[in-house]
Amino acid sequence: MTMVHDHNRKDCLAMFAKLSDYIDNELDDLTCKDIENHARACIPCKACMETFRQTICFCRSLTPNEIPVPTAFSNHLKSLIQKLSGQKRDL
Amino acid sequence: MPIFPSPKTKTDDDFELIQAINAGQTDLFPELVFRYERKLYNFGMRMCRNVQDTEDMVQDTFINVFKYLKDFRYETKFRNWLYRVATSTCLKKKRKSKYAPERELSLDEFIPDENAELPVQVPGWATLPLDQLLNEELLSIIREGIAALPEKYRLVLVLRDMEGFSTAETAQVMGLTTENIKVRLHRARLFLREKLKTYYDHGA
Repeated sequence: MTMVHDHNRKDCLAMFAKLSDYIDNELDDLTCKDIENHARACIPCKACMETFRQTICFCRSLTPNEIPVPTAFSNHLKSLIQKLSGQKRDL
Repeated sequence: MPIFPSPKTKTDDDFELIQAINAGQTDLFPELVFRYERKLYNFGMRMCRNVQDTEDMVQDTFINVFKYLKDFRYETKFRNWLYRVATSTCLKKKRKSKYAPERELSLDEFIPDENAELPVQVPGWATLPLDQLLNEELLSIIREGIAALPEKYRLVLVLRDMEGFSTAETAQVMGLTTENIKVRLHRARLFLREKLKTYYDHGA
């Protein structure tokens, strides 16, 4: 379902620009309250905020180190480092 | 209130190891490699997007760390310094291989059209718990979305939302201001949100 947006667009745009700072807890309390009040009154902005928040949750849910280092490369790295460790570092 | 607290400052877990290496115990350097090899490899795969460039980046990063560790002054956590070296190695590699200018993302391109019909409720995908949504198809959409970001935006998103660096740390790693990091991060997240919205709007 959709509707034509009749809320104060200036407030919507102000909220849109601050969404990341809001979600990252980088705004003062008063600005946070303004955003929360606006989102309560403006469903499209609420939808925007929640989809934005979920997007960040998705990113953070990705396993950061899911790919194992290929054994051949790891061995190559080990031998290179051992070689370097045996030398003076300023060479 | 926002759901994500600011990351807390932690002590540097690598401090003692680095002190020992810099005191002459270079045989401990492989331990440092062991700690960060997999992290850097995954970071490289997200940034370089292919195995050969990733392996080159990881190798060059460790060689540079080995050469310059003696100059590390503990003004930042070792991890931040390491990622700064890795990021710089990664960007240099990119400049060598491609000369096409990068696409800029502007805030305006993500602002919903004033005349468009807008939702009257929050979409279901934004309200359900992650474990009910995450599956291989969605994970692949997210990874593709991240890979499609222009590099300078992807780098900020990866450091902030995946590697867990704070805004200030990301600024330090990239040698940019915190304001610049915030601008890039916001646009990167909006870009990704559009990809997910398109995926769900088309009946995922």
